[in-house]
Amino acid sequence: MAENRLSFELKNRLSELDTLEKKVHGFAGQLGLAEKSNCKINLVLEELFTNIVSYGYSDDSEHQIQFTITHENGSLTIRIEDDGIPFNPADASCPDLECTLEERKIGGLGIHLIKKLMDDVLYQRCGEKNVLILKKDISDL
Amino acid sequence: MEIIETKQDEILIFKLKGRLDSKTSPDFEKKIFDAIEDGATSMIVNFEELDYISSAGLRVILKATKNLKRSDGRFVLCSMKDYVKEVFEISGFDTFLPIVSTMDEALIQS
Repeated sequence: MAENRLSFELKNRLSELDTLEKKVHGFAGQLGLAEKSNCKINLVLEELFTNIVSYGYSDDSEHQIQFTITHENGSLTIRIEDDGIPFNPADASCPDLECTLEERKIGGLGIHLIKKLMDDVLYQRCGEKNVLILKKDISDL
Repeated sequence: MEIIETKQDEILIFKLKGRLDSKTSPDFEKKIFDAIEDGATSMIVNFEELDYISSAGLRVILKATKNLKRSDGRFVLCSMKDYVKEVFEISGFDTFLPIVSTMDEALIQS
C-alpha cells in the first residue's frame, strides 16, 4: 500500500486547535477512516499540543510545533517536534483510576488517554527539541 | 460548541452540541458553576449531539461531579455517541458517574 503522509506546523496558541481539527479530519477522510478513529487521532494530538502550549514555554514568544502523520502498511505513525522545555510524556504519572471520586485527581488524564489509545510512545530529546513518536495499528483504532 | 440550557421539574439540563475541547470547555465550566452557585443541585448533561470530547471536557465534568456531591446533588450523563462513551470508559469516569442511554432514563435517575 502506498504511503500517505501529512505534515504541518502550528503556532503555540490554543486558537490553532481549529487548524489541527481540519488537518486531521482531511487526512482521516483521505485514508477512509471512520469518524470514531478520526476523533481518537484528534484527541491524541490535542492532548499533546495543549500540553506543549500550556507547559512547554517559559517565554511569551511565538514557537512552531511540527506534526507529521504517516500511514503505511496499516500502521499510523505520529511525530511531533517542539522546542519547549524537555518533557517526556511516556514518563509522566497517570491518575489512579481505582480510587474513589473524592480522591480522584483532576490532572494527568490527557497523558493517560494517549497511552491507552496508542500502541507505542517513544520520546527523544534531540538537541534543543523534544521529539515524540507515537505508533498505532490502525485496524484497532 | 453550542450549549442549550433548559429546566424540567427542578432538574437543570445542558444539551451540548459540537466539540467539548480545550477551547470550548471554559464556557461550559462557567455555565455549570454559575448554575451551582445559583443553587442548582440536580443536573443532566445530554451528549446526544456532542461529536468530540478531550480531557479538558472531562476535567469540567469531574470538577462539577465533586462539587455536586458535596452538596448532595445529583449529576447524570446521557445519550453519548460511541467515541465519547469510550473516552469516559478509558478514563474510568463510568465507575463514579451514572451514564445512561436515553434522556428518559436520565430523568428517572435524577
